[in-house]
Amino acid sequence: MYYIALSVLFPILTGVYLLVRKEIKNRKSLLIQTGIFLVITTVLGVLALCLSGGGILTPFNLTDRLPILFKVDEISILFAVMTMVIFLCAGFFSFIYMEHEEKEKRYYGFYLIVFGILLALCFAGNLITFYLFFELLTLSSMPLVLHTGSREAIMAGLKYLFYSLSGAYMALFGVYFIERYGNTLTFSTGGVISSQAAADNTGILLWIAFLMLIGFGVKAGMFPMHAWLPAAHPVAPAPASAVLSAVIVKAGVLGMVRAVYYIFGVSFLRGTWVQTAWMVLTLITVFMGSMLAYREPVLKKRLAYSTVSQVSYILFGFSVMDAGSVTGGLLHVLCHGAIKAGLFLCAGALIYKTGKTRVEEFRGAGKEMPVLMWCYTILSLGLIGIPPTGGFISKWYLAEGALSSGLSGFSWIGPTVLLVSALLTAGYLLPLAINGFLPGADYDYGSLKKKEPPLLMVIPILVLTLLSVVMGLFPEPLIHYLSLIVEKIL
Amino acid sequence: MDFVQNFPAVSILLCLFGGIISSGLRGKTARYVNRGLLLVVTFLSLCTLCYTLESGEAFVYVMGKFPAPWGNEIRAGMLEAFMAFFFCIIMLLSLEGGKKKLVEEVEEEKVFLYYVLIDLLLASLLALVYTNDLFTAYVFVEINTIAACGLIMIRQNGRTIEAAARYMIMSLLGSGLLLLGICMLYDLTGHLLMSNIKDQAAMLYASGQYRIPLLVTIALMSVGLAIKSALFPFHAWLPDAYGYSTVSSAAILSSLVSKGYIFLLIKIIYRVIGFEVFYDSRIIDVLFAFGLMGMIFGSVSAIRENDVRRMIAFSSVAQIGYIYMGIGMGTQAGMAASVFHILSHAATKSLLFIAAIGLTDVSGGSRKFIDLTGGAYRNKWAGVAFTVGSLSMVGVPLFSGFISKLLFAQAAVQNGTKMLPALIVLGISTVLNAIYFMKTVIRIYTPVEDSAYESVTFKNMKLYGLTLICFIVLNVFLGVSSQPIVDLIERGLTVFS
Repeated sequence: MYYIALSVLFPILTGVYLLVRKEIKNRKSLLIQTGIFLVITTVLGVLALCLSGGGILTPFNLTDRLPILFKVDEISILFAVMTMVIFLCAGFFSFIYMEHEEKEKRYYGFYLIVFGILLALCFAGNLITFYLFFELLTLSSMPLVLHTGSREAIMAGLKYLFYSLSGAYMALFGVYFIERYGNTLTFSTGGVISSQAAADNTGILLWIAFLMLIGFGVKAGMFPMHAWLPAAHPVAPAPASAVLSAVIVKAGVLGMVRAVYYIFGVSFLRGTWVQTAWMVLTLITVFMGSMLAYREPVLKKRLAYSTVSQVSYILFGFSVMDAGSVTGGLLHVLCHGAIKAGLFLCAGALIYKTGKTRVEEFRGAGKEMPVLMWCYTILSLGLIGIPPTGGFISKWYLAEGALSSGLSGFSWIGPTVLLVSALLTAGYLLPLAINGFLPGADYDYGSLKKKEPPLLMVIPILVLTLLSVVMGLFPEPLIHYLSLIVEKIL
Repeated sequence: MDFVQNFPAVSILLCLFGGIISSGLRGKTARYVNRGLLLVVTFLSLCTLCYTLESGEAFVYVMGKFPAPWGNEIRAGMLEAFMAFFFCIIMLLSLEGGKKKLVEEVEEEKVFLYYVLIDLLLASLLALVYTNDLFTAYVFVEINTIAACGLIMIRQNGRTIEAAARYMIMSLLGSGLLLLGICMLYDLTGHLLMSNIKDQAAMLYASGQYRIPLLVTIALMSVGLAIKSALFPFHAWLPDAYGYSTVSSAAILSSLVSKGYIFLLIKIIYRVIGFEVFYDSRIIDVLFAFGLMGMIFGSVSAIRENDVRRMIAFSSVAQIGYIYMGIGMGTQAGMAASVFHILSHAATKSLLFIAAIGLTDVSGGSRKFIDLTGGAYRNKWAGVAFTVGSLSMVGVPLFSGFISKLLFAQAAVQNGTKMLPALIVLGISTVLNAIYFMKTVIRIYTPVEDSAYESVTFKNMKLYGLTLICFIVLNVFLGVSSQPIVDLIERGLTVFS
């Protein structure tokens, strides 16, 4: 059980150590240290997942009624595994990518701290612990956004901060009320609101649920509080964008899952206006994100808009509250994590090698860097949802769940929006691949040079690509595991 | 009577005599006397605290053996003892943190005067905390005002003289209103001892006599103390007074002096007027409304400010607003939250003032934001301390500010009509706080190429660094293990009335 505390504390402490120690002259020793810290954290995290076995760890009490509490359940395992895989991949990718950036030590310091805080979020066992680390996540990930120190980065960082703090306060609103109306703040399947309180205060509790959804939705980039995301994600260094877009937004998703399925309970929310509003918001976000991505010429911004859209796929799955759609949502958490991290790393590698940023400038990139561009193409197919990648399976479950949910209207509007958005996804992701491999007749093949990025950059991307394909080819065990979770929480 | 019961009176007298003796000493000796006094008073308060905690009730100490209703009384419960203890610690830390600055900014032959004023200020604060006699309270309010004016003015430049004059005028207006209130109350009830007035006030209230005079009295006293503690819209004197005086003074004024008046107001509510009577007077709603407005307007003014010291000063207006909001809720929980915020704000605001001075010192003495860029790299400890203070002010968990916010919100949730405005304004104010404090934190952590200013290391500022560490520890302590203190406040408030 103490592995939970270790896996949270170790990266945070080593991160702080990197921040406060003197500048390391030898770049290699910094990288080796960071690498070792990352690996040890992952090992500790895995040990925590394997050995804690549902035990509860309470390090201290904030106040008498608000203990800080950690617990490992199925959802924690799912999110923690994703976090660890992506953090390792993006971490090793940074070792090459960050070579030309300044203040590397600071970057790795905050990278490790964010890692620890994300693990803590996965393991958080009650609402106040979750809130605590949710706030800390905002504060510790902000330096990653601010990294370049340019005016644009600072404005984006401030935007991120204010959106996130407002969101966190809305979530805190929920803590205040649930402390009064709930039996406990500890996450428990089926909810903690006592039936008496639920009957007496339905109106106010529904408002609280709505506010909490909007509040956690800020991190997940859900309309109407999504505007920070396309500003903040692209200004960070590419591996940091990968982590922000693939994992940190999932903290918002995790918050919503915890609030809906573990605090209010499905039975309380199903069929209420909150569910309808939530579905409407997610569908708007899905469509709007794709549209904006389609119109965006800068590659990393395009990917950020795509995150806005894709995360709301996940949220739509959860908002339908049907076994199939929730399975799809959980699966898409993993798929989107792997794919979006991979895509951002690809974008990083492209920028690192060519120094270009706009989509139309990458003509012929596939001839120069075939391995990288193949990965990009496969990942794109995954995000669009074409078999045999994981994206297909998750979107299949999402659509099927919505169709069989029996919600009037949404059972067909939902899948339609998802489908249209998938077309748009193809529209904004594939041109780069097409231009990359088929630059056209007027392309100057003479100046073509092989410039595949270094191995340490390619391997993380390959791993993520492979994962996204494996999830599509052999989804059976995963689906089985997810259905067990779904059975419990629905 | 136990021996410990002498301690409150002894501490007040010690401080008074300390002031008198210091006026004949040289600067350095006066400082030693002052530090000695502070340590002794801290110890005495701690003993009183332990004693009251053990006995579980407050004790009344009759000054000069004249029994009530003629004599003067001191009444000490755990809340009073704890406040005295806490005030001493904050004062000690603020003085140590600003010591170097004091040497630079105050002429050498005037340093002893500074410590005379500090001793008198401490005496008056302790008296405000302990006294059970309304008129004694008034007398010490005046001593407090004069001492505070001196503290502002002792750093001689045009701005401080103007600030002190403004402070004097506003403060005297406040004391005048308070005095009027006390006179009317004396007229109505025929007493000056708090407990006697309360009995009479309850009788008057029950019989329905003198409704309007009683209401006017309550209004006069509340407004008087509100002016003195810089509740919005009476805060015009504050930014200059806190912004330009020497840093120890600013820290002490913002975290202790205004809190002394608020504590007196709480005392008046509980022990003079009586909670029910006060609650029914509706003045409480006025305090609530102005508290909410202060929370917003204080922060808005702070956002517009381009001077870091004045920004912190304006943030005090917002925080005083929080405290009045808690009082205005009119519940035990709200009051407990307010008292906790008195502590939390005292610990945080003095930390911010002291840390800000470290940052401006390594930025060529300039307080403009543009010059502070990268300040946290030049003075690491001040940077860390300022960040901790800012996070606490924003209300991030693990720091004291979060617990205040939590307590306020819990109090609000239990309150039917005032719930929504309180929670909404709390939210807005959190975001506003974040805007200016986080802006500053980002600014001081933005690296600059080859800065023109020198950096300092811990070795060059051991004492200053240690003070900052103490402050940080205090803040985190209040944020992480607040439960015993909250329990103490709640127990203290029940014993209080």
